[in-house]
Amino acid sequence: MENNIKIQIRNLWFYYKTISMLEGINVDFPENTITSITGPSGQGKSSFLMTMNRLWQCIDGASVKGEVKINFGNGFEDINHQKYPLPMLRRKVGMVFQTPNPLPMSIFKNIAFPFKLIGEKNQNKTFEKVEYALKKAFLWQEVKNRLTEDAGVLSGGQQQRLCIARALVLEPQVLLLDEPTSSLDEISAEMIEQLLLKLKKKCTIILVSHYMDQVKRIADTKFILSNRQLTLQEE
Amino acid sequence: MLFKENIARIVFLSASILSAVATLLILGFMILLSLPVLETGMIWGILTDPWSPDHGRFGILAMIVGTVYISSFSLLISFPISLGCSFFIQIIHPDSPGRFLKLLVQLMTAIPTVIYGFVGVFLLVPIVRKVFSYGSGMSILSASLMLAILISPTMILFFSQSFARVPKRFLDATEALGATSFQKLFYVILPNAWTGVFTGLVLAFGRAMGDTLIALMISGNSVVLPSSILDSARTLTAHIAMIIAADFDSIEFKTIFICGGVLYIMTSCGILLARFSVKKRVR
Amino acid sequence: MFSWCCALLLATGFMFIVGFLVVKGYRGINLELIFADTRLLDAFFLKRQVFGGLFPAIIGTLSLILLSIGFALPLGLASGIFLAEYASPRLKSFFSLMVDILAGIPSIVVGLFGFSITIFLHHFFSSQIFPCLLISALSLAFLILPYIIKTTQVAIESLPLQVRLTAPSLGATKLENIIFVLLPSALSDIVSGIVLAIGRCAEDTAVIMLTGVVATAGVPRSVFSNFEALPFYIYYIASEYSNSSELMKGYGAALILLLISAGLFALAHWIKLKIEQKTRFGY
Repeated sequence: MENNIKIQIRNLWFYYKTISMLEGINVDFPENTITSITGPSGQGKSSFLMTMNRLWQCIDGASVKGEVKINFGNGFEDINHQKYPLPMLRRKVGMVFQTPNPLPMSIFKNIAFPFKLIGEKNQNKTFEKVEYALKKAFLWQEVKNRLTEDAGVLSGGQQQRLCIARALVLEPQVLLLDEPTSSLDEISAEMIEQLLLKLKKKCTIILVSHYMDQVKRIADTKFILSNRQLTLQEE
Repeated sequence: MLFKENIARIVFLSASILSAVATLLILGFMILLSLPVLETGMIWGILTDPWSPDHGRFGILAMIVGTVYISSFSLLISFPISLGCSFFIQIIHPDSPGRFLKLLVQLMTAIPTVIYGFVGVFLLVPIVRKVFSYGSGMSILSASLMLAILISPTMILFFSQSFARVPKRFLDATEALGATSFQKLFYVILPNAWTGVFTGLVLAFGRAMGDTLIALMISGNSVVLPSSILDSARTLTAHIAMIIAADFDSIEFKTIFICGGVLYIMTSCGILLARFSVKKRVR
Repeated sequence: MFSWCCALLLATGFMFIVGFLVVKGYRGINLELIFADTRLLDAFFLKRQVFGGLFPAIIGTLSLILLSIGFALPLGLASGIFLAEYASPRLKSFFSLMVDILAGIPSIVVGLFGFSITIFLHHFFSSQIFPCLLISALSLAFLILPYIIKTTQVAIESLPLQVRLTAPSLGATKLENIIFVLLPSALSDIVSGIVLAIGRCAEDTAVIMLTGVVATAGVPRSVFSNFEALPFYIYYIASEYSNSSELMKGYGAALILLLISAGLFALAHWIKLKIEQKTRFGY
């Protein structure tokens, strides 16, 4: 079967302090596709992404009600359940942010950071995976000779690809992208678009963007988020 | 994993509790150790009497007055200067002269107070003595002048911070109407930044009151109620420093804890006042 | 015009102070000032006590700094982290009020607190306990604790949201986020805060005056002995000098202390600039 449902969201409410940002969202996201979410700024697009890896818990004053179920291969699991282990969830659901956010360490260590977190001791295996992730993000050729340099020396486009590589290194099944190209020039943006098209064979991608032409080029399904509701955008 | 998280949380929490306890413990100790004196019912006498241990009178009124006198006077001197300097830094020359002045002011905050005191003793006091040809030169005036230099950096940095928060469009609008710098300061900046200015004043007052060395070294430390700014006076802080050498069991000695308590409460009130005004602005 | 005058006035005042010290003190600075007639190596390896030089005072100040930073740093970092990352809004406002009050307490009152703890211990635990290096360092730690807490808290809180979300989005727990990302990212601000706290330790006189500093003690043999310190030496000379060569030493000591403070300030400034440059294109 093509296009199995990967993420199932039912009656999802998002509050910031006492203000509701999302009101009763119901939506399904199919597997191995790129789904885009556009809409006016400040309407909770980023918040919506954060409901899928529970990152909203790191934001003071945010709260969520409703069901978010993801099928990681063993049937649908409710990720909002109290007992659902957060680190596991976030390894399977990668996220890339609007502005590139390399950690204050070397290029290699940035990519290897998720391995450090899961307690991987095998250096060879880590190195293999880092190389693989960097190749997948079209960055290997540019950085293979300077892996020990601080990640801050890379250009904006390179940094963003580094962040994508870092999100990919644990081979997540879902990838959340929050306006990943809005701080980049056109050429870097196009590289990232190409990258996403390749990635969708293995991942379910949710892309928040405000570039309509970008969305037209790469998205399979398009949604608009406005007035606290998600609506399907017809062709 | 979860275990480690909880341990860390507990460690961080207990560190905070310890810091808070330290704050309260200081007040507790001051009260506890002045209790023996308070119990004798001498509290009124202590707050109003003159200080003459030989006659069994241990009033700290002169020191309280001296403290308030010296701090207020230094504030009076440094306030206009600080206002001018922060205006200079933030509005008139935010470019290199302003940046240079700001760096200088920051450097001044790092200068030890004992150095101010030392220079005060050997430079300022003789000058004051010569100019006014009155007394030894160790006077409220000398101490206030030196303290004014000590506290202006605190004020300047605080003022320029609050000036910086005045929206630039207000300034541009006034500029476009042809206002002079003075008009800008009085009609636009001060009304918009007054809470910041007020907080800065309160904090600087606390700093002036809390300083020991300058007062101890150059205010002359006499225990008589001062009658003019050329008289010498003693502050609470200097009083503590001078009496500490006395006999452990004397009443004299025990009154310094009352001084400590009074200082503690006065500065805490200042902090509360400053916080209150900040909160009001936020609302 | 007015602010030019203020700026000039302040700058001149500052120049006068520094200039006065430099002019009077530069001739006093030489090896003899520090080591008197003791040979250098003997002094460093503590074979012979240095009498009449500043060496013991410098060592005293150094050990004071090391000890009190050693006490205050872990406590301050942990509390700062708790306030920034863990505390609920209510708890936060209570703890930060405590920290503000602690920061506002005059240093002489902190010294008095240290002194009263000594009396307390002397009475109830062991009559061997007298004012000493350890007590001074502990009291000084209370004095600088609020600075360290505040800088840590502010440094972590002012990190942009994206930086704080990065590690959690990769599956890091709260503690891992703090250790691997938040602390390293905030390091520049924290370090320059610590350097300034060191400056406070080096300059404070009021606290140590009440808790164990003396005019001549030689290099401290243990944390339970009396000690000398630079700022107290300066104060002592200013009030009790008997001849011009002693006074000359006072000028020399003041100049050395000024240089140390200015050096620490420059260090803090440099760290800030350097790391700001590095992170400018990072985030």
